[in-house]
Amino acid sequence: MMKNMIAAACISIAAVFLPLADAQPSLPPQPDSAKDTAVEAENQIAITRLNGAEWLLKMATGIRQRNYQISLVVNRPNSDAIPYLWRHGVFDDGVSMEQLNVLNGPGKEYIRVNQTVSIFEPDVAPYSITGDLIDGPIPNQLLIAPLELRAGYEFIAVGRGRVSGRVAQQIRIISRDNSRYSYQLWVDEQTAMPLKLNMLDLNGQLVKQVQVSQIQVTEEPDPYFERINHDMLPAVMTTAAAAHRHAWQISYMPDGMNEVKRNTHRLMVTGQVVEYAMLSDGLVNVSVYVMPAANTELQNNVYRHHAKTLLTRIEGDIQISIVGEIPPKTANKIAASLTARIQ
Amino acid sequence: MTQQQEKLSAFMDGEMGVSNDPLITDIELDQDLRSKWQRYHLIRDGLRGELGQSTNFDVAASIAQAIEAEPAILAPTKRLRDIPVIGSVIPLVKQSGQFLVAASVAAVVILGVQNFNQQDVSEPFSTAPPITGPQGGLTPVSLEQTRSVQRNDMAALLEQRRLINALIADHQRQLQMQQPQAAETSVDEKVSSQNEQKQPQQP
Repeated sequence: MMKNMIAAACISIAAVFLPLADAQPSLPPQPDSAKDTAVEAENQIAITRLNGAEWLLKMATGIRQRNYQISLVVNRPNSDAIPYLWRHGVFDDGVSMEQLNVLNGPGKEYIRVNQTVSIFEPDVAPYSITGDLIDGPIPNQLLIAPLELRAGYEFIAVGRGRVSGRVAQQIRIISRDNSRYSYQLWVDEQTAMPLKLNMLDLNGQLVKQVQVSQIQVTEEPDPYFERINHDMLPAVMTTAAAAHRHAWQISYMPDGMNEVKRNTHRLMVTGQVVEYAMLSDGLVNVSVYVMPAANTELQNNVYRHHAKTLLTRIEGDIQISIVGEIPPKTANKIAASLTARIQ
Repeated sequence: MTQQQEKLSAFMDGEMGVSNDPLITDIELDQDLRSKWQRYHLIRDGLRGELGQSTNFDVAASIAQAIEAEPAILAPTKRLRDIPVIGSVIPLVKQSGQFLVAASVAAVVILGVQNFNQQDVSEPFSTAPPITGPQGGLTPVSLEQTRSVQRNDMAALLEQRRLINALIADHQRQLQMQQPQAAETSVDEKVSSQNEQKQPQQP
């Protein structure tokens, strides 16, 4: 009983923030307790009426407009947890800044000022790319423009839970054609900030988990951002956008997946020249490599590296390789669908 | 002499132009001035709290003694690179960087491997044993278990592993370099039109 009351109190706070078109009329002034409970009940309806997509939109708004500092940990089965520190600040002059720092090991740091993301990592000269958000542990598209994911995924609001000590709403994100891993996302009921993200394989086994351990939403941006000297950030790298046409095309792509990139380049490790295409559905990216097959007799194999599947398939004298966080059977379907391009 | 002491302290604080002042040669020649130079540095470090334990004083003193015995080494005109210790340290630092690269490549080697029956696309995995294994899914099987390894097969396997490393590393790299190449896809009209729709949207 007590628990219910606490939950109800939380709801009434949260309901104030709801940008719903059909939001309930504002609180009547009478201190009538019977009326209050009626309003609370109505608010409860408002909360439960929020569907998955609406929760995600709320989250996206918060992510872009709030000042926050989030400590989070990325877990993968049987490997070390990786802690991150993630800060975001929006200044009065409209400048938005973001920082993502890998806290263990030699370290890696991302700093974003407006649309420029600078990456600092050991053994590589710092460089910058353009982006609306740092590409961190939580997929970018989910944080910026979740509705675009609807081509490939369905959002289902599951209900309330408790994560990181907060009342949270769970949203399941499931691929429409069941060809990709699914997600469970928990967002804070009050602020709609993300609290936890699970990536599950087709059997429901956890392959990756992002768990927020601490979250601070503040009025002012973190003082850290004032220390960043904007002129010292590396220049944005521009890669030659060579128009390229491969002699092959991909006939099968999972729902919502598109080709986003295509080029021919050398693999850094082996120096091999590969024809390359990247597919993306916003949540996962899949690399497709086509190269001459080695003259050794290799079997078609699937490998697993963390959540990534690597599949190699020999077709005559070419080798097709698929790398990405997708189930092996989907990788195989993509690899098998490569055909000569119809001119 | 007091004037020289003032100069010395100004020199240490970097408040004095070096070019046409005889002070440097003076320090080199004058034993007194040289030990002062030494002590001033020691005092400064102490004030800044960079000395740490008091035992360091003993070490510093013994170094100072050794230096007094061999004045040439401390001559301020010498560059860092000329000091043998640092000269040999730098290549070591570089080497450790290379180790890092090697280690990051090696970490990718640990993979679960499984024969993949490509013909059975419809249900290749429904018959798979319940997944309890670590790599998040497929039961890891060592390379030796997948089949009897013959000698020339071994070479192929090694080559395959190298390629796997290369592909995973490249995938990661392509992910990171994703954004700036967005213009490239304009070849494909369909894709480019989809990219245009990807404006950040306000709810």
